[in-house]
Amino acid sequence: MALQRASRPVAQCIRQSSSTLHARTLATTTTTDPSSADAAPPPPSEPSSRTRNPFTASTPAAEKQLAQQKQRPVGSRRRRAALSSTTQIPFTQLPYQAFQEARAFLQEDRREKLEAIGLQRVKIARLQDRVVVGEQDGEVERRKQREKDNRVRSMGRRLEEMKVQADINDPMVKKRFEDGLGDMTKPIYRHLANTQWHSYKRQILLQRLTQMNVVPDVLPALDPIVSTGLAFPTTSSTTAIRSRLKRIQHGDFVPSALSSQPPTLWIQPYNKGTRLCTVAVINPDVPNVEKDGFDHRCHFLAVNIPISPTNTKVRLGELGSTSESKGDVLLPWLPAYAQKGAPYQRMSIIILEQPSPNHTPIVTTLLGAVAESQELDAKSASQDSRYNVRDGFNLRSFVDRYGLKPVGADLFRTKWDEGTAGVMQQAGIVGWDVEFRRKRVEPLPYQRKASERYR
Amino acid sequence: MTLTHPKAPSMATLACLQSALSTLRTTHHAVPAITHITRRKASHQAQGRANGAKDGAGKRLGAKKTGGEYVVPGNILFRQRGTHWFPGDNCFMGRDHTIHAGSPGYVRYYQDPARHPKRKFIGIVFEKTQSLPQPTHAARRRQLGMLAYQMPTPPQPEIATDETSAAPTKVSDGTTVSIRNSKMNPGGLQLTLGPGYQYRQSNYEIGRSGDKKEAAANAKGKTIRAFAKFKPGDRFAAWRKSVVRVARSRERKVMGRGGKGGAKKKN
Repeated sequence: MALQRASRPVAQCIRQSSSTLHARTLATTTTTDPSSADAAPPPPSEPSSRTRNPFTASTPAAEKQLAQQKQRPVGSRRRRAALSSTTQIPFTQLPYQAFQEARAFLQEDRREKLEAIGLQRVKIARLQDRVVVGEQDGEVERRKQREKDNRVRSMGRRLEEMKVQADINDPMVKKRFEDGLGDMTKPIYRHLANTQWHSYKRQILLQRLTQMNVVPDVLPALDPIVSTGLAFPTTSSTTAIRSRLKRIQHGDFVPSALSSQPPTLWIQPYNKGTRLCTVAVINPDVPNVEKDGFDHRCHFLAVNIPISPTNTKVRLGELGSTSESKGDVLLPWLPAYAQKGAPYQRMSIIILEQPSPNHTPIVTTLLGAVAESQELDAKSASQDSRYNVRDGFNLRSFVDRYGLKPVGADLFRTKWDEGTAGVMQQAGIVGWDVEFRRKRVEPLPYQRKASERYR
Repeated sequence: MTLTHPKAPSMATLACLQSALSTLRTTHHAVPAITHITRRKASHQAQGRANGAKDGAGKRLGAKKTGGEYVVPGNILFRQRGTHWFPGDNCFMGRDHTIHAGSPGYVRYYQDPARHPKRKFIGIVFEKTQSLPQPTHAARRRQLGMLAYQMPTPPQPEIATDETSAAPTKVSDGTTVSIRNSKMNPGGLQLTLGPGYQYRQSNYEIGRSGDKKEAAANAKGKTIRAFAKFKPGDRFAAWRKSVVRVARSRERKVMGRGGKGGAKKKN
């Protein structure tokens, strides 16, 4: 039908939108009146009540129905088509000759490696049984003891490598790791996770730390060996329901409303054993107008937090409060804030490992496990005047005083936004109505040159 | 490597040579007279070239502030073609590689092997006694360069309640028109004021309207499709569909778009 152009825009828009529907559906806009031009088309053939399996839905229609069920397909389309068209044979029993022969070869290799692991264990036991005897009760004996310890330690490291090599060719191990089902108590999954972290995310973290100069400003050097993850809760912690967490990438800007609540930190070590960690959140960009420079401020400090490859979640707001979450909080969470006009402020989260009592190297003991960390005396630390104030907190001094080793870091940034004033007022911070403006620099006086220079 | 034109020996030299060799000669054949050797006249290399590049006027490149001079932000320190010098601490580089001061202080020309083994840098220090490069692993020297003021109109702080979520809220401009119960708008469309002062449905809503109607019809066991779903190979159904489409488009052409255009054209 010919369209009458309406002069009013609203009516025109409605008419146009209804005409586009016309174009698609041939003179019907309601469901009760099918067009008479053609025979009524049959209803869709596939019944909508059939449920689809996310592992085997591979046709477009099946995938659409799966989406209607609000489920996502698992694996690639090729995998799903293969699973739907074949019988459910376990992967290791697939009837392909080359595959089975390769499996047999790898299993034989694994057997040899397990034997070698057994032999290595016997060697270590024999070496440990040996008694060190020195002529004089002093330097020679101590030197021989040190040499023996070194040998046992390096044999222990070799043993861990052999354990990884025994399992690294197993396709089921690879599949389990990639599905996120790896058991972190086993060295092979820790090794695979560590390699994966090193290949990309650790490089990103180092790039952010060096580009934003966290490394010379907060600590002189930092070699991350534990991976970190950070997330802030999106609702207030006073609600009973567990709030949703917003994950933050390294170096992201975090809105003030979000960073007013203490975050959740995931700390993943890749060597076995439980160790005690200290977490410090330092802001090295606090503006100081008197000295025309920047101060450090500590937004959070907690010690004696147990971390292991299987126990990685640390809720900074709940440390030490319940019996299950161990740790001593010296300085509770202060919301991150940057006053108006000031440049953005870097909030660096530094993870420090507490030393062992005998000062044995932290990374490996005699058989590859982490040494028992010494508990830091939280009471004496909280009474030390250098470390119980937030303003002017010197992390380098704290690290030296307690012999801590920096093992990990995370970073987020904060700047002035609409919610900062509210957050500062709620936290009782002075200066929510202060703004910074650039100092006017007097230009250099005009210097007239010798007259020959002017023609 | 200079190319020299081989100079022909002079007549005197040739005469000496001949007399020297004559004593060694065994026979006394008649020596042919020394042929006249062509002599090249030297050409002046300092003549101007017809097609060569001419030298232009000097561009006054080079250092404009010496080491130790006090400068303010924006001052040009070095003009160059390319980067003979790189901007170091508190300096920045313009689009033509000119190095400017970024903060008030004293100019320093230095090398920083930790930053780059071969490059030369120009930087600014804040005090005359300081030098560059800064000591490695030490906290950087930084200047705030700002003053604190009381805000003229303090912001209205929104005190976060327990139930506010920190996710960014959608900007509602409050210019939504919904003429639900009007006969002009049977579908109850939500029209918002867009750029160009146009009240319209958003594009994604238009795009999904067909799917939504089909889903609503399917829920009742019906469909709004005029034709059955396309089956590849069913040429009869495809022919029926195309016949209808061709007839409709022919009708439209005849009627025209302007309402009276078709009638005019016929006449």
